[in-house]
Amino acid sequence: MPDQAAHPRPDQAPPVPGRLRLNVTSDPANLASVRHACEAYCRQCGLDEAAAGDVGLCVNEAMANVIRHAYFGATDRPVEIAGWSDAVAVYVSIRDWGSGQVPKLRSKRDPLTPGGLGMVCLRELLDDVVYEPQPDGMLLTMTKRRA
Amino acid sequence: MAVELKTNSRWLPAARSDGDAVVARVAGEIDLNNSPELRGELFNLLGRQPPRRLILNLADVPYMDSSAIAVLVEVLQKMRKTGGKVWLTNLQPRVQGLIEIARLGTIFAVARDESEALSTKSP
Repeated sequence: MPDQAAHPRPDQAPPVPGRLRLNVTSDPANLASVRHACEAYCRQCGLDEAAAGDVGLCVNEAMANVIRHAYFGATDRPVEIAGWSDAVAVYVSIRDWGSGQVPKLRSKRDPLTPGGLGMVCLRELLDDVVYEPQPDGMLLTMTKRRA
Repeated sequence: MAVELKTNSRWLPAARSDGDAVVARVAGEIDLNNSPELRGELFNLLGRQPPRRLILNLADVPYMDSSAIAVLVEVLQKMRKTGGKVWLTNLQPRVQGLIEIARLGTIFAVARDESEALSTKSP
């Protein structure tokens, strides 16, 4: 079991403003509602509009990666999204039960080369991104620090 | 004289031919769910003979993700094959931010609005 001390889990987070928990299928039609829910949750946690938008985009990109690379386009597989916060940051995790492969962060030197932009967004807009392979899939935890 | 062009997608609600340009309005939040439809509609619009300039008005696009950026890049590459140019206008803050992250701000021509894009001479 990986050491998770550096990444607070929901049971370690303070109860206020509450936790976010979404269970959806791996259908691209769910991207917008998940993105909107995560952005609203970030605003409730006190993030400003721009920071909440950054998290929304990264959740969108991470979930799109799950759909394409963990579930190979299947639209009926489970995706669980959780959000929590503490005094330092807001955290969003995405759990899938797919291929278990850690997405590669490619250096994107040529902007016209397709692919890889989603991971660039995660790297540039978030403070921490941790992929933890699970016996039956993947747990991604994303951290956005408070300003 | 501008000529209205038929479109069949809520994500591309209006388009017109204006001189050597095709001007199209994109609308909505564009992500992996609807970017394939937008791609198909844009490629239908360009047809077999792409115009000299394609001007995409993004005033009604508050959000797009990397799949939408990929569509724009694909359209740009099709246009470049025939010496054409793609203009993006009326960029909203989140879209502009993503274009900067993608380092595409100097690859697409960017204009404040349709008028500015139309009044700028092609190189």
